Amino acid sequence: MIASEIVFGALFMLLSIFFFAMTFSFPEITIALSPTVFPRFVTVCLFLLSTLLLVQGIGKQRKIKPVKPREKIDRAYLLRFILLAVAGFLYTRIIRYTGYVVATPLFIAAAMLVFAEKKWYRIVLISGGTTAVLYLVFRMVFRVPLPRFGLW
Amino acid sequence: MSPLVEGLSYVLSLSHFPFLVIGVAGGIVVGALPGLTGSVGIILLLPFLYYLEPATALIMLSGMFCGAIYGGSISAILISTPGTPSAAATVLDGYPLAQKGEAGKAIGVATIASTTGGIISTLCMIFISPQLARFALKFGPEEYFALMVFGLTVIASVSGRSLVKGLISGFFGLLIAAIGIDELSGYARFSFDVPNLMTGFPMLPVLIGMFAISQIFVELGNVGKQLQRYEQKIKGVFPSWKEFKRLITVIIPASLLGTFIGIIPGTGGAIASFMAYNETKRFSKDQDSFGKGNLAGVAAPEAANNGTTGGAMVPLLTLGIPGDVVTAVMLGALLLIGVRPGPLLFQQNPQIINALFVGFMLAQFLILGLGLAGVKVFPRILKVPISILFPVIFALCFLGSFSLNNSIYDMLVALLFGVIGYFMRKHGFAAAPMILGVILGPLAERELGKALIMSHGNWSTLIRSPIAVFFYGISILSVTYSLLRMRRSKPRGE
Repeated sequence: MIASEIVFGALFMLLSIFFFAMTFSFPEITIALSPTVFPRFVTVCLFLLSTLLLVQGIGKQRKIKPVKPREKIDRAYLLRFILLAVAGFLYTRIIRYTGYVVATPLFIAAAMLVFAEKKWYRIVLISGGTTAVLYLVFRMVFRVPLPRFGLW
Repeated sequence: MSPLVEGLSYVLSLSHFPFLVIGVAGGIVVGALPGLTGSVGIILLLPFLYYLEPATALIMLSGMFCGAIYGGSISAILISTPGTPSAAATVLDGYPLAQKGEAGKAIGVATIASTTGGIISTLCMIFISPQLARFALKFGPEEYFALMVFGLTVIASVSGRSLVKGLISGFFGLLIAAIGIDELSGYARFSFDVPNLMTGFPMLPVLIGMFAISQIFVELGNVGKQLQRYEQKIKGVFPSWKEFKRLITVIIPASLLGTFIGIIPGTGGAIASFMAYNETKRFSKDQDSFGKGNLAGVAAPEAANNGTTGGAMVPLLTLGIPGDVVTAVMLGALLLIGVRPGPLLFQQNPQIINALFVGFMLAQFLILGLGLAGVKVFPRILKVPISILFPVIFALCFLGSFSLNNSIYDMLVALLFGVIGYFMRKHGFAAAPMILGVILGPLAERELGKALIMSHGNWSTLIRSPIAVFFYGISILSVTYSLLRMRRSKPRGE
């Protein structure tokens, strides 16, 4: 199994190289602070630190004995994480079409199911009740123009 | 009318006082719930604060801050799980007391100690802050830039177990802060011609994602686990007069220690509470009873961690630099509600400062009242199932992200940073350094730009001011101290 330091070290290294290269397309200003100075300083530091992390990771990797059993990945947890992230993403996509009042109880109900809630009446009450309270506070009191159903 | 009386009449008015009560009560609940910290509480409060007057928003924030630090002790005592990191030391004697059937008394002592710690630190804040702010009025861009550099060195002390990972997290935050239009040149950096990226990532959704949503993903790991519950009946909240007289000799020094530690950037409640616990144990005649349910072992850490609240506000209010994670989030919150901490705040908006001072003091008394009155309710708070709590918080996170700019894009940003934050946390990258980078990065760049404009591009201007050199010096000391502390805390052989 690859040490996470190697993966993240390499990832941040690539990120810093990419962003550093991008600074060459910025305009150079001679008076005061050029827009390239701060990002270049940050990306160079990030590159050096990620290199250090990578080296640490390689060192750690060597210490790991080959006989060490592979760390068990909790598949149920991973599935829950993916489901919740996807539910969140879908929520941000459908809310503009269905409006806040329709999309939010669906999202809360989905999140409750991901958190293994089994009692259906709780799901209905909490998802509906929370949406109603939040809608009243933000729409009626704070006058936030929450997304509405397209045909309203 | 004296400024503090003016502040008192403002805070006590019917249109402001309820917000302080809500802030303190909300803080206690958030602090008591394991998994939710003061930072998350402040972030969840932000969408509401945006619609309030700055002074009202500030007193509500103060209530949340103080309430959450105190609230952490409740779960520490009842279920041996500190609600916030600063309550970790309270577990040592608080939980054994609960096991002996003295949970009520332990919470009572924690409440009295927290209130005393809070009052002492608020008094220190009221006396020290204006003096420091008056001195800081002499600061120009060079000194401010040096100050921001010092503020960024806090990254080293909030890095968690690995300094390298903490620094990477901090520089990643600085890189995120560099995205968007550069204030000096007007050039949109790293925008990839995407209109939404022209203004950079909005701060509120980034904060919500990194702290709150990532925590929700982490909590998925507790699904199906049998979480601890406190089932015993709570009775007897007050310590006897004899016990109180003995405890007050512990509470006052611990409060002063907490206040002093709170003022030092890069420290925070966790360090203060453990230091106070150790010192109390060291000076105790009955050292063997510590860890087995000694009331002084609850009083000392609680007085110290609430003592840090007022102390941590001193550098935040006067210099605009956060002392720890919660004050870093607090700084972000203040900027979002249009309050820019620093010496000018004392000069230009004294009414906000007075309201804050009074609000902070009243928050301590509210902690005492709500804490003692709510002792029997606290075990019920801990019974809220995670399958209800976190989905509701998730919905609130999305709504909060949306409400600032009425933008669905902001909801997506919050989700994105929630996922990033989750992976970073899971692999040992602390979220706090990144947030410090996101908040302090643009401020540091702005001050550097101003200094260079005034000196016609002469970089040596940065080291001409003795005050700036002083801040560079303590920045180096701060990083060295963090390195030494990290080395000392590593087990041998690692």
